[in-house]
Amino acid sequence: MWRLNRVRYKNVGQSSKSSEELRLKRREQEKALRQARRDKQLVSKRLLLNEDEEVTMETTSGEQDVVSLLYKLQQSGSERETHLKDLSKALRDPSAQLTFIKQENSMHLLVSLLTGSNTQCRLHAVRCLHELSHSIHTNVAPACLPATPYLLTYLSGQSTKFTELCLYTLGNLIPDSDVVKEKLLAQGIIPALASCMENQRHNLAVVEAVGFTLSQLLQAKDAAEKIIPTVLTSCLPSQLLSVLTPDPKFGLAPAIECAWCLHYLACSKDGRELLAQGALLQCSSLLSSLGGAEGSKEGMELLVCPLLRCVGNLLSFCPVNSLSSQVGDVRLVVALCAFLQAYLHTQPALARESAWVLNNLTAHSGEFCSALLTFNLVPGLMQLLLFSQGINTMILRILANVAHKKKELSVQMVHLGLLSTLCSTLKMADQEMVTLSLEVLFMLVVSGPQVVDEFVRLNGVPLLEAIQYNSEGEMRQRAVYLLERHLLSDSSSACTVDNVSSS
Amino acid sequence: MISLTETTEEQSELPFNFVPQLFHLHKDHDLFEDGDVHRHMYLQDLYCVSEAEDKSTPSISQFACHISGCSAVFSVLEEYEHHYNSLHRHVCCSCRRSLPSARLLDVHIQEWHDSLFTILAQTQDMYQCLVEGCGQKFRTNKDRKDHLVMIHKYPPDFRFDKPKKDRRTHETKKPQQIETAMEVVDDTCGSERVHDGLSDQQELGESMETHVSEEEAAQNYAAAAAAAAGGDAGLSAALHSNKHANSEMPKPQYSYRVPTTVCFGHGSVRGFRGRRGRRK
Ligand SMILES: [Zn+2]
Ligand SMILES: [Zn+2]
Ligand SMILES: [Zn+2]
Repeated sequence: MWRLNRVRYKNVGQSSKSSEELRLKRREQEKALRQARRDKQLVSKRLLLNEDEEVTMETTSGEQDVVSLLYKLQQSGSERETHLKDLSKALRDPSAQLTFIKQENSMHLLVSLLTGSNTQCRLHAVRCLHELSHSIHTNVAPACLPATPYLLTYLSGQSTKFTELCLYTLGNLIPDSDVVKEKLLAQGIIPALASCMENQRHNLAVVEAVGFTLSQLLQAKDAAEKIIPTVLTSCLPSQLLSVLTPDPKFGLAPAIECAWCLHYLACSKDGRELLAQGALLQCSSLLSSLGGAEGSKEGMELLVCPLLRCVGNLLSFCPVNSLSSQVGDVRLVVALCAFLQAYLHTQPALARESAWVLNNLTAHSGEFCSALLTFNLVPGLMQLLLFSQGINTMILRILANVAHKKKELSVQMVHLGLLSTLCSTLKMADQEMVTLSLEVLFMLVVSGPQVVDEFVRLNGVPLLEAIQYNSEGEMRQRAVYLLERHLLSDSSSACTVDNVSSS
Repeated sequence: MISLTETTEEQSELPFNFVPQLFHLHKDHDLFEDGDVHRHMYLQDLYCVSEAEDKSTPSISQFACHISGCSAVFSVLEEYEHHYNSLHRHVCCSCRRSLPSARLLDVHIQEWHDSLFTILAQTQDMYQCLVEGCGQKFRTNKDRKDHLVMIHKYPPDFRFDKPKKDRRTHETKKPQQIETAMEVVDDTCGSERVHDGLSDQQELGESMETHVSEEEAAQNYAAAAAAAAGGDAGLSAALHSNKHANSEMPKPQYSYRVPTTVCFGHGSVRGFRGRRGRRK
């Protein structure tokens, strides 16, 4: 069955292609997706498979079949169901899809079968529409417009399979054309999705499909103006949040779709409206429990990613005084650090996002800063300072947040060896790292006189002396200040001692 | 170039401005790129657990030499340490030559840039033996060289005794190496120049104010150091008397013997001549 129990791994293992070939294909596709995102064209469609089929792209002379099948379908007869089923199979082929929409009255015929009294024909007709919606050709989606009001109407509940097909078909049609999207909005797709989700909240396959279709809408370029405000005033946000308690039997998939919807809402300018619904608490709790789970489950990162983003962005809307109540347990920091360590080598991007969330969490909260020390997470963070690609600057910001809060915390971090770590980061090529290191060093130095002695003992002074003539002003000014105001104020006597000992 | 006045202005206000910051990231933020791509791989049924194993670990940060004019980059911290210690640890602030040890730097500063040394050398044995712990002094560089070859078995072509002419021609060929601050790279990091700092030639033009006696010199240093909270450590190391040490609690040692006024290129105007004259 298509519905994934945890997440689906199609194309894997069951294909005759070699794994090397598959890996190559994935690499190429990944490259294409990356470019599409840069061009702001990143869209995906989903193909809901029949229970008995595997993904095969082989189709047999679809074009011929489509024309003759359409002809046969026009003659009403007892074999209509079979012909319609054959048509749905033929329409997997991209050129057959083009042939179909060019045939006169083809869509009209399909809609009449979709709305006819034969329920088996309805099912096969929606399957045909679904295959068409999955087309790579952008002119296919507008051709499907006559069917959309019926697809929306059927969301009020027939069978799970039928509703799923309607939802995925709608979801696939959304990104192809603004005309289709505008029509769907006018036809009330948002309230239709909301009531579908509300009525079928226990049907997780439908919930997942609603999540997917909604996420397609929320990714539209003009979503901020036309879609997100309507969604936020509907019951959808609370429905989405209620899905964030994954069902162990069904798996993560519905939660993944809903979490992505919440991410698209939270990263908009109206994201703060989610706070009132307790979204921050809900997302943080789930993250905490995922982070605390023994060993990372397969596919867990697919859920962790959107949840991290929700928490990160919602934190930026959260007033400081209600931070504790909105986030809940301080042990969220433990989960975030666990993700940082777990994903550093396999999913660096997720490690980076975890660090961003940890920064937002510690920026204005002494409580979470203290928690980093209470749970002994600082040594692990310091080790991550060696890694580049944005991870180290974010980690250093987190440590700076901690040092900025309280002198006691600074002193504790010095005891944990932060100064010798800074001696390494001051040597880094990345200027932002050096400047941030100098900022942290300054906060540590003013926290107590013993810090200066320790830094000198660690041979830190020459590092600053090297930087004090650097052409980069940000670095230079800070190094000069530290040297002249804090580190070399005793230089005359120090030199005397030096002289004595060396002569 | 940094002028002294500019430096003073820089110091007038606190250059530190870190404040904790929350970042709200919009949908198309770069930080989200990988995650979005991964999400769409999943939607397009290209998700695969083993895919994770293909992903490369984030690379280790690169290290760079921050000495002005030197932009050497290293992928391993040890390489950085080696580079720094070889080329920048013992650098003369006047002529920017890099010396292999703190002791040789002290000797170099005395013999090359200290006019008191010049005066005293006319009447006393001033050329210290280069060997740590020997303690003998000689009237001329030639005498010292003979001593080094005879007693300490140095090779006769020992490079520290490079004749003046060689260097002059080198300098006339490339005068900008000496004059222009931006050219420090060659001087500081050019390994061929590392050892040529100890010739018997004095560069009188480089001399600073003359000290009448060692004691007065020491007092001057103390005053200058007090005024300029960052005294001429390297220079004073050569000339200091002990009495300041006795009057103070022992302080941590600064292993770095380069004067804090050391001129790494851009800072050349802050050599001890300029600093001493203007800072009071
Ligand atoms: Zn260098
Ligand atoms: Zn010199
Ligand atoms: Zn000797």
